[in-house]
Amino acid sequence: MTGKPEDATAAPKDLPKDAGRRLQELEHGLFTSDLSVNEFLLIKEVGFHPLGFVMGSSIYHTGIQTRKWGSSQELTKLTEAMYNARELAMTRMEEEANELGADGIVGVRLDVNYYEWGKDAAEFIAMGTAVKAENGQSYRNKKGAPFTSDLSGQDFWTLMQTGHVPQGLVMGTCVYHIAHRGLGQTLSSTGQNVELPNFTQALYEARELAMTRMQDEADELGASGIVGVRLEEKTHQWGSHTIEFLSLGTAVVKTSDEVTLPRPTTIISLDN
Amino acid sequence: MTSVPDDVPEAAGRRFQSGAFTSGLTVPDFAACLQMGLEPVGYVQGFCVMQWGWYGAGSPYLRGTTPYGGTHGQYSESWRCPHGYVSADHRTWGQNYEQAWVENAWGQGFGTAYTRMIEEATSIGAHGVIGLVDTTASLGEMGVLEFHVRGTAVKVSGGPPPPDGRPWTTYLAGQRLAKLVEAGYMPISIAAAVSSIRVWAYCVTEYLMEGRAYSWGAQVNGAEIDQVAKAHMAARQVAREHVRAQLHGDSLHGAAIVVSERELSEGDQVVECTLRGNRVRRFKDFDPLARPRPTLRLS
Amino acid sequence: MLRAAQSLGKPGSFGGPSTTSDLSIDEELVLHTIGWEPVELVTGVSIYSVPAGVWNWGSGEIVSASSAHLQAFAGAVKRIHAECARVGGHGVVGVEVERSVTRHHITVELTGTAVRPVADTASSKRYPVFVSDLPAKDFTLLETAGWRPLGLAYGASFIYAPRRSAGTAIQQKGQNIELTNYTEAMYSARELAMERMQEVAIALKGTGVVDVKVTEGPMHFARHAIGFTTWGTVVALTADHHRTIEPVVLVALDDASAAFDASSLRG
Repeated sequence: MTGKPEDATAAPKDLPKDAGRRLQELEHGLFTSDLSVNEFLLIKEVGFHPLGFVMGSSIYHTGIQTRKWGSSQELTKLTEAMYNARELAMTRMEEEANELGADGIVGVRLDVNYYEWGKDAAEFIAMGTAVKAENGQSYRNKKGAPFTSDLSGQDFWTLMQTGHVPQGLVMGTCVYHIAHRGLGQTLSSTGQNVELPNFTQALYEARELAMTRMQDEADELGASGIVGVRLEEKTHQWGSHTIEFLSLGTAVVKTSDEVTLPRPTTIISLDN
Repeated sequence: MTSVPDDVPEAAGRRFQSGAFTSGLTVPDFAACLQMGLEPVGYVQGFCVMQWGWYGAGSPYLRGTTPYGGTHGQYSESWRCPHGYVSADHRTWGQNYEQAWVENAWGQGFGTAYTRMIEEATSIGAHGVIGLVDTTASLGEMGVLEFHVRGTAVKVSGGPPPPDGRPWTTYLAGQRLAKLVEAGYMPISIAAAVSSIRVWAYCVTEYLMEGRAYSWGAQVNGAEIDQVAKAHMAARQVAREHVRAQLHGDSLHGAAIVVSERELSEGDQVVECTLRGNRVRRFKDFDPLARPRPTLRLS
Repeated sequence: MLRAAQSLGKPGSFGGPSTTSDLSIDEELVLHTIGWEPVELVTGVSIYSVPAGVWNWGSGEIVSASSAHLQAFAGAVKRIHAECARVGGHGVVGVEVERSVTRHHITVELTGTAVRPVADTASSKRYPVFVSDLPAKDFTLLETAGWRPLGLAYGASFIYAPRRSAGTAIQQKGQNIELTNYTEAMYSARELAMERMQEVAIALKGTGVVDVKVTEGPMHFARHAIGFTTWGTVVALTADHHRTIEPVVLVALDDASAAFDASSLRG
């Protein structure tokens, strides 16, 4: 393996010792990856080589925050906790990739695990495959870090054909408490299916906050757009009225106007 | 927070001012979209949370009352008991009827969420919205139903804005949309409707649903449960009529039909049918492709 | 796309009939290649009552359940057939078969899209209206090869699982032996269901039944009752001779899991 950037020679301080050893082995040319053969070949097709399977994790105590029974509001402490925990896991994964001299990480998965032993604690994990361009050109993002993306090998290939390059997996989160309805409110509208504007407004705002935060991350990367935006809703272990709204997507930057995708041909597949 | 949400919230306004576009499209769809001359301009969405319940009491004396005091829909059918007086709790008559109030409330929730999404799309100068996803979900145990409609707003490169300023919409995206256009169809909008048929069982239906013979003295095996079967047929036909009324002479493509049945109390059930699809209009003549080659993959 | 978008401003000159269909664009295009088009979304539902108590005791076949299943299937087919004929379809493709067997009733629900040839002239040869659960793609392939679906064939049989006497059970405990009476009962029930399906196929003058689905297993509400149901599409050669389709072999680079799912677009 050649062309290791200067800044990657020093082992990152907060990676565990075992990870350091594993990564050193990877530097001798062996690669590990959870890519399928198809994905591996497609990544080679666009001039990238997999370097190794990288991961980062963070076990975070999420604490509690008092919620007002009757009002809808963002729970900023929880939002911050959810955000920081994921950010830590991502950063550690990026450090591992950096150690390998990678240009980016594809197929990133973000998971949250809960364990019996830790009440209110959750493990946030990020994993993916570090890749490097074979032509020596740097594909690192505006911040000088390897790009991250949750794209599969197939998606990565397709995106490159459209003249776009991934910049980073961007996310925004917002933990929101949805008000309980008071007795008076419940009675006054009984008997009809009508809109509840306060609820609409609360859910609308929570999702918009998550999306705006994601967009802010993309702007910091100087991205021209975000593809594959997903909105996820999770109640974690907080009960049904407290919901985390998470939006995720891959920020991309346009490098060429040319779309080089060949025109597909029509086929009838005989496979089941 | 106190104002009624008839406008795009502040957060969304901020989001749209930012330089980067957001798109809910997958990468293959994104690629196909660029290839056919559509530029994504933003991810747009609309919501409406409705109070949701099943109203109308379970007592036979209150049959057919609507909480709105209005009238029922088009479909209504009744059955009479063939037995004469048997006992006070004998169900001497039965009725199937379309619950227009449920259908209208659903239409209002869905329509409001849809309109709000269109407002967002219009505010960023979109020509159309593609890859629409709509969900209706109840939030926890709160007795409310949330309608959520979202999609990716696009502009046609070098194309004119829609004539009435209202963006066209479709559930399709990517190659599917490209193929639709190639087949000579222009997406106009999505079309969706619900039908709700209430079934008040009469004695014969009740007995058959419990597997009992209904004619005193004579065992009747394996009879069709006419009233319930008719309700099921009607639910589908009424939903189709509602969607047809939204087509205005255009066609419905890629429809999805979902039927659910729920028992509210004994001998009182609701059959509900949701039908949604893409309203499309032909803009060029039928021009069939060559017969495709059959393929067999080796992996 | 540009041309399509521009067309919105012009008065439509390509009206055509208003149709409804649950076909995907791939299915519609593939139908177009053989000159067929969708007409209308059609359905058929039938619910038959099963007398109380039949599931729990007895031996041999549960005749009333088998017959209720048969009649519910026949009733649903008849209704979807009638809807198809009413809208001028030549047949229904991609019929989704939903069945439910409960203690007191058996429901069969069919939903599909009625289709017809685009150039439907009086002189073109008319075949009887068919109902088929084959997807549009399979219909096209069959047509290319010179075959045609004729209708749905269905069969069912419900039986009581034989009970072993306490004595026999104790005797057999710890032995590895075939429980011949079980084997026999299951075997004959399966045969019965298949035979009934074949009878329907023969009545339709079919050459064969393709894509046969079989379900079997105990009823969740009655452990001693076992149900066998089966259905498929009856086909016959309508061309002078079978035409080979000669497939192209290809290696795909998409993983099955990454392949795109059409239903996700419909919301």
